[in-house]
Amino acid sequence: MTNLFKTMEINVGPQHPSTHGVLRLILELDGEIIKSCKPVVGYLHRGIEKMAENRSYLQYLPIVDRIDYLGGFFNSYAYCDCIEHLAEIDVPDKAKYIRVLCMELNRIASHLLWLGTFMLDLGASSPLFYCFRDRERILHIFEALTGQRMMYNYFTFGGVRFDIPSDIIDKISVFIEDMPECINDYENIITDNPIFVSRCKSKGILTKKNALQYSITGPNLRASGVNLDFRKSNPYLVYDRLNFDVSSDISGDAFSRYKVRIFELHSSLKIVEQCISFIKNSSDEFLNKSVKPVMLNIDNAEYTSSVESPRGLMSCTVMAGGKNPYRVKWRTGSYYAVQVLPELLINAELADLMAIFGSLDVILPEVDK
Amino acid sequence: MINTDLLKEYFPDVLVYDYYIFVEKNIVDVISFLKTKNYVDFDVLSQIIAADCTDFVQLTYRLYSTENNEFLNVVTKVKDEAASVTHLYKSAHFDECEIHDLFGINFVGNEKLERLYMPEDWDGHPLLKSYDQTDERLEWNNDQSL
Repeated sequence: MTNLFKTMEINVGPQHPSTHGVLRLILELDGEIIKSCKPVVGYLHRGIEKMAENRSYLQYLPIVDRIDYLGGFFNSYAYCDCIEHLAEIDVPDKAKYIRVLCMELNRIASHLLWLGTFMLDLGASSPLFYCFRDRERILHIFEALTGQRMMYNYFTFGGVRFDIPSDIIDKISVFIEDMPECINDYENIITDNPIFVSRCKSKGILTKKNALQYSITGPNLRASGVNLDFRKSNPYLVYDRLNFDVSSDISGDAFSRYKVRIFELHSSLKIVEQCISFIKNSSDEFLNKSVKPVMLNIDNAEYTSSVESPRGLMSCTVMAGGKNPYRVKWRTGSYYAVQVLPELLINAELADLMAIFGSLDVILPEVDK
Repeated sequence: MINTDLLKEYFPDVLVYDYYIFVEKNIVDVISFLKTKNYVDFDVLSQIIAADCTDFVQLTYRLYSTENNEFLNVVTKVKDEAASVTHLYKSAHFDECEIHDLFGINFVGNEKLERLYMPEDWDGHPLLKSYDQTDERLEWNNDQSL
C-alpha cells in the first residue's frame, strides 16, 4: 500500500511573475502546508565583483548601478564613498545634499514599486496603477536631471556630474507637496482593507532573534522590533544635520513590514524638503573640480562603506591595488532576506507563499550580483 | 571598543589593531568568544569577505553589535580549508557557499555546502586571480598605454 501521507516536492520559478527577477524555490508540501523550502539563486549572476578587477576605478563606476537597478543611486554612493575615503577626496556640501535628495527620491520610487507589485501578488491590481503613476513622476525628474530613467551614473568621485537646475527643483517641490495626499490614498485603499489585513496579519513572522541571526537589515529588521537605521546610527553624508524619524514595529509579520515602509515614504519626503531648502540657498560647487578620476592611483588600502538602502544595509568593500581595484565585495540586504525565507515558510500555507516573499522586498539582481 | 586585555588573556597570539583583529588559528573560538563572552556582544555577522592573495585566501568576518553600534573585522588566512561558523550565525551559510563557489574554499562543518551561483559542473573558481581569463573581449582593457 502506498503511503497516503507522503509529502510532495514542487518547483516554483525560476521564471515566475511574483519573484521579481529569477528565483527558483524547491518546496516540499504536505497537502497545502509547506514543510521545507530551498531557494536556488544565481540565474542573474553577472560577475560584477570580477569585472572590477579588470577596470580602472572610473571604468567600474557605470557598472555598479546595475547591482540593484531599482536603487541605482545607493549603489553609486556606496562605491563613491569608498573611493573618496581611500583617495582622500573632499565633497562639497551642496553635492552632499544633492546626493541625499536623489537617494531619498530613489527610496520613494523603490518603495512605490514594491507596494504596487506586492499588492499585485496579493491579487489587488488597482494599487499598482496608483503607485506607478506616482513613481513615473520621480522617474521623469531623474530623467531630466541625469538623462536616464534607471541606470543613472550621476554620482562621481568628489560630487555629482551636473548641477541641479532650478526648474527641476520646482518640479520636485510640486511633487513633495502632492505626495502626502497620494500616500493617504494608498492607505485608504489598503491599510484597513479586510482582505489585505487577513492575508498579512501574523503571516510570515520574523522574530527578533531570527532576524539578527540571519543578518537581516533595513525595514525588515525594523518591523521585527530592532530600531536600527544606519542613517541614524552611523550618519553618513549630511544625515546628522537633517531632522527625520525612523519607525519600527514589534510584531514582525508581513503587515508590520508594510507599515514600516509606508512610514518611510513620509520620512523620505521630509528629508527631501529639507534638502531642497538648502540647495536653493547654496552657492557651493556641486563637484570637487580638483579630482582627476582617470588618473586615480590608490596605494594598497581597504575601506568598507555602509549605506542604508531601501532593502537594508548595503556595503561596498574596495581593496585598492594601484590603478585597478584589487577586489570589490558587495553586501546587499536582499541576499540575506532570501536566506531567511525557508525559516518564514515552514508550516505556512502555499497560498501565503507570495504574501510572505513579497513582503520581504527582495530584488534578485542584488542577490546574484 | 572591545576589551583587548580580556581577549589577549584567552587568546595570546591575536593581534589587535583598531577595528581589526588578526587571528592565525582557532578562528571559530575567537568569534564565539566575541559573540558571547565579551562584554561587547557581537550579535550579527554582517558579512564574510574573501580576497585571493595568490598564496592564501584572506577571510574577513565583519561582525556588528546592535547594542554598541560598532563593526569589528576578524581577519584570518586560509588555504583550501576553513572552519564553518554556521552554528554561531545562520547568515554565514550563503556567504560560505559563495566563497566555496568563487574561491574554492571548503568549509568544514557546513553540511549543506554547495555552489551558490555557478553551475555544479563549472570548471574553476572565478574570483581566484589564477582563473583563466583569455577571452579576447577582455583584451582592450589590458592596454597599458591608457
